[in-house]
Amino acid sequence: MRGEEKHVTAIDHMLEEQEGDEKEMEFLSVLPAASALTEYDRGVNTFSPEGRLFQVEYAIEAIKIPLLNVRSCASYLDRIGLFCGFFNWLGSTAIGLKTKEGVVLAVEKRITSPLLEPSSVEKVMEIDECIGCAMSGLIADARTLVEHARVETQNHRFSYGEPMTVESTTQALCDLALRFGEGDEESMSRPFGVSLLIAGHDEKGPSLYYTDPSGTFWQCNAKAIGSGSEGADSTLQEQYNKDLTLKEAETIALSILKQVMEEKVTPNNVDIAKVAPVYHLYTPAEVEEVISRL
Amino acid sequence: MSKQQARFEPYDFNGGTCVAIAGADYCVVAADTRMSTGYNILTRDYSKINKLADKCLMASSGFQADVRALQKVLGAKHLIYQHQHNKQMSCPAMARLLSNTLYYKRFFPYYTFNVLVGFDEEGKGCVYTYDAVGSYEKVGYSAQGSGAKLIMPVLDNQLKSPSPLLLPALDAVTPLTEAEAIDVVKDVFASATERDIYTGDKLEIVIVNADGIRREYAELRKD
Repeated sequence: MRGEEKHVTAIDHMLEEQEGDEKEMEFLSVLPAASALTEYDRGVNTFSPEGRLFQVEYAIEAIKIPLLNVRSCASYLDRIGLFCGFFNWLGSTAIGLKTKEGVVLAVEKRITSPLLEPSSVEKVMEIDECIGCAMSGLIADARTLVEHARVETQNHRFSYGEPMTVESTTQALCDLALRFGEGDEESMSRPFGVSLLIAGHDEKGPSLYYTDPSGTFWQCNAKAIGSGSEGADSTLQEQYNKDLTLKEAETIALSILKQVMEEKVTPNNVDIAKVAPVYHLYTPAEVEEVISRL
Repeated sequence: MSKQQARFEPYDFNGGTCVAIAGADYCVVAADTRMSTGYNILTRDYSKINKLADKCLMASSGFQADVRALQKVLGAKHLIYQHQHNKQMSCPAMARLLSNTLYYKRFFPYYTFNVLVGFDEEGKGCVYTYDAVGSYEKVGYSAQGSGAKLIMPVLDNQLKSPSPLLLPALDAVTPLTEAEAIDVVKDVFASATERDIYTGDKLEIVIVNADGIRREYAELRKD
């Protein structure tokens, strides 16, 4: 079947370690035919013959992860055979930038109706005094993860009298990602459909981590997740440098959000938070101040 | 008359004394090497001092089987911590862990009287002193074990530290030099050995400073 053949070709390309934009576009544009997938994509724990976990991939598609650099993702791709298409995504955009002074997180609230109470839409949350998190995708799933992270950080403080490092917190979150399946009572029925940007400050200084439903995490200097992430990431690449001040990072984050959002940016439809060195969610007045600087 | 029933006694008392002193850039922990039971000596050459982390040591007197078990539990927890967090435990973290480990067995305690020494986040010497169920306090110096009540008043007198009764509590790190502190330790143990039957034989002194960890021995009376 044509669909299946093209599908196999894509995997071959990945295994050959491709280079160059051409090949990237070629395999990125290949989509498996629906008929090729139905057999192996229903069971949550079932591998396909090519070694892919379709449910995990579909969970990732619920947010979207753009491939910026194929080589850097090659080993990860090998493992779970992920490919990314560019579909329409559920996830609202979130952006994180790391500076020497601290980390900035900005999220699009996506207020779908004027009757919606903006302050009830919480897409940036505090995990610990010096760790915050922005989410994109299935927000209810994210709440479970944030709650787990809060418990883990407080347990650590109790046991060791010290704050948990940002990397350990991120690892604790990702430990949850693969606890899905049919057998165990304790496991979830499906993967988490949410990506997180974890921003924090510990003895190593400010740091930003990005997680996805596969349970992998990456440390980044700047990252955008969600529906507008493709364009946002390329703009971030152009505008980011290591010596940004916090104020400059705020402006960049918000201007990129403005780019990808359909509505006009107001203090009611975006949220900004910083971890510098403690977590602080901006009041509407502070958000207004950043907007006025755009 | 109630029947006398044979009961299993889970604890034993092996005697011994431990002392710890913190200075500005060093710390000293010392313990005698006698292990006894009842009026008998089991051995004259038993170390009560154990290294938990890079710059963190623990000295314990009481029931040495429980001490050994506690050391193993802490060692295992430290190893897991290193794997999970990619770093050694700091002394304050180890201090909290020891407290929690002891309290975990609140209703069948480890019969151990511990002192923990190391360096805090700023590199200053610190001593943590414990009771058998995990109540702990950061202090400038401490003594635990059978000779503790003989030694503590002398340390209060000789170390020139701020009084522990002052409010607000001052950092009780001793202004003495390393050599002076070691002399005080040798003196107090010599005195405790005279009056306490469980203390004697040999004194093991471990000194931790920026250069690393150093061990010294001094003879004590063997009667």
